Amino acid sequence: MTPRGASVYRWDVSIMAASISGYTFSSVCYHSANSNSDHEGFLLGEVRHEETVSISDTQISSSELLQVVEVHNHEPCAQLFSFYDYAGQVNEESLNRILKDRRKNVIGWYRFRRNTQQQMSFREQIIHKQLTQLLGVPDLVFLLFSFISTANNSTHALEYVLFRPNRRYNQRVTLSIPNLGNTSQQEYKVSSVPNTSLNYAKVIKEHGAEFFDKDGVMKDIRTIFQVYGALQDKVQSVCGEVEQSERVKEKVQEEVNKLKQQIVLRKRKTTDEERRLQEAQNPEPRLTPEENTEPPETSLLSRVAFHTPSTPERPGPSANPPAYADLLSLQNDSLLPFSSSPTSAALLPRPQAVGSPGHPSPSPLGLGLSAGPNPAAGQEDDEEDDDDDSSEYENLVSEVGQLPPVSASVLLQGRPAALSPDGDASVRGSQT
Amino acid sequence: MSPEVALNRISPELRPLLCSVVRNGRVGLDSTNCLRVTDLKTGCTSLTPGPCCDRFKLHIPYAGETLKWDIIFNARDPELPPDFIFGEDAEFLPEPSELPHLVQWDAGDPECLLQLVKELIQQYHQYQCQRLRESSRLLFEYDSLLEDPNYSRSMEIYAGHKNSWTGEFSARFLLKLPVDFSNIPVYLLKDTTLDPGEDVALLSVSFEDAEATQVFPKLYLSPSIEHALGGSSALHIPAFPSGGCLIDYVPQVCQLLTNKVQYVIQGYHKRREYIAAFLSHFGMGVVEYDAEGFTKLTLLLMWKDFCFLVHGLCKRLVSKKLAKLLNLLPSLDQLSLAKYILSQSN
Repeated sequence: MTPRGASVYRWDVSIMAASISGYTFSSVCYHSANSNSDHEGFLLGEVRHEETVSISDTQISSSELLQVVEVHNHEPCAQLFSFYDYAGQVNEESLNRILKDRRKNVIGWYRFRRNTQQQMSFREQIIHKQLTQLLGVPDLVFLLFSFISTANNSTHALEYVLFRPNRRYNQRVTLSIPNLGNTSQQEYKVSSVPNTSLNYAKVIKEHGAEFFDKDGVMKDIRTIFQVYGALQDKVQSVCGEVEQSERVKEKVQEEVNKLKQQIVLRKRKTTDEERRLQEAQNPEPRLTPEENTEPPETSLLSRVAFHTPSTPERPGPSANPPAYADLLSLQNDSLLPFSSSPTSAALLPRPQAVGSPGHPSPSPLGLGLSAGPNPAAGQEDDEEDDDDDSSEYENLVSEVGQLPPVSASVLLQGRPAALSPDGDASVRGSQT
Repeated sequence: MSPEVALNRISPELRPLLCSVVRNGRVGLDSTNCLRVTDLKTGCTSLTPGPCCDRFKLHIPYAGETLKWDIIFNARDPELPPDFIFGEDAEFLPEPSELPHLVQWDAGDPECLLQLVKELIQQYHQYQCQRLRESSRLLFEYDSLLEDPNYSRSMEIYAGHKNSWTGEFSARFLLKLPVDFSNIPVYLLKDTTLDPGEDVALLSVSFEDAEATQVFPKLYLSPSIEHALGGSSALHIPAFPSGGCLIDYVPQVCQLLTNKVQYVIQGYHKRREYIAAFLSHFGMGVVEYDAEGFTKLTLLLMWKDFCFLVHGLCKRLVSKKLAKLLNLLPSLDQLSLAKYILSQSN
């Protein structure tokens, strides 16, 4: 266990796995079974190392080192004692004569002996130590085959055990043979052990040009990679476009908000002036609708303005209508020259919740500006994003006194790109 | 498996090698029995006609244990030396250069395999002595015995495996006691084909723990010695003293055994004299007598036309009373002698 940092630990586990191709295994068995005495040879292949690091929420990362031994081929010896003497002393010249240029591919050796225990013998241990040194393979493996026959020779069992004798513990290693076993419930697996046969290589070279390119990579794979690359490029460019459009949208929204503010201010000014005029001229009650020559918006505005307290700042509609106490406090802070009496404010109808039948749909645009508080309430209305501005304007005006003051930073917040659950509104504007 | 069965099943080329092992193979201190062979198998295909067995398990007595080693030949290449699997002693790896009969294996020499096994046993003994280093107490026992020439060359040690949980470590010492049994009366077996073997006394001392708090000694005698001493119950060795050590205990047992042997020898001679005296005095009246152990004598006596048989039984040593009788023998008549013997037998 290696401590890393304050509280992160690491467990290193070293495991060895071995695999042998089915044809190599059957070839060794064939040579051995047909031998009328003990039989031995060398195993050719390669060893690769894999490290898997697993990280969990408990901050304990475990690292698993896997050493995989793959047996590709074998080199049988013609007879016993072909590269060692009676004392088990290995003769390097004889070894080279047997292995020739395949010496560097040796990863182990094997022995076959009938009706004996699955245990390394005295001479095998002596030889193994010397081979480890001569061949320079620290984890040289030893594969022991044994035929066990019953007394009446009715049943013969081929047993095989892979040893790594140079380790003190866990000397036996599981040897897997791909596709040897019950394949009825499993797929036919492609073995990771490559085929080193010369004939196979020749045929592949002849017909390979139809499937492989000059680098030895399958053409289909390269084509798929090209498609993948193109898709990646497209996604990258789309990301850029989305970003740009979002920024444009943000700017446009800011401008719209500013314009709306200006409209509100202007309307307020106009209303105030009219009121002053009226007061100056005639303190009677307000004009009848027929005699009212003012534009309907103004009268509506005046009515609304009379009945609802307004604030100097644009409140920014939120989905949570304020309580009457808030309305009262807003009224006190109002910059309007006149304002409703507290009692009249208390008699104002309670603003209804967003989405309720009697409540006009709040502007999703406005809601987007105050994205912090309860964005969910505004998402239902995001579909009205591109609807008629006039209706938004009306709604906004009707809610001016009902909504709590919102700071400028909130007002200026850009609308988050991926806000809506349906996904449509947020990406509608950015789809290309 | 009897030796004959093993020899019948072994491959003919390997038969001489096995023959010397099963017939003459005595290895180690316990040489009362020959080496035993079991699990004869073949390394040839099942289609090969027999006999073609070329691998077997050899049972070797050592330090009170029986080692079971696999010996692997190849019937197709009988000139090649065998390979060995040392059973449970997987860590035992002898040095090939210390095995001259392996390095210069001669398949034509019938004794080659037996000699090789003896060399392996020597290496095995060294290996076990090395393992005694797990316990300083037991190592001391070994070193002290090694210094005594009486025991240094007649010692076999078997060190058990150290229990990694309890830390317990056990060992057994088997020592051949240097006692002279040459004068012990010859023990004649009814079956003359069986060789009674060498007369030997082995002392086995088992240390069940490394601190020598649980020590169990046991004396093994060859059949003739055991018979001569009067059976296994006749001799009781003292218990291992608490806090004692082998270098003190073993000579004590040796002395006890020597005394007993002397006692037996003296008794034998005395009985022989006793019988001889009766024979010389009542020569014509002797019906029969034990001519081997001189333990029984039957006389036919007569007194005034009354004939009677007198059976005399003398198991061990002649008692003082009988010794006195021997002195009086020439002057005794038959009736007095019969009366005397009857009174003594009661």
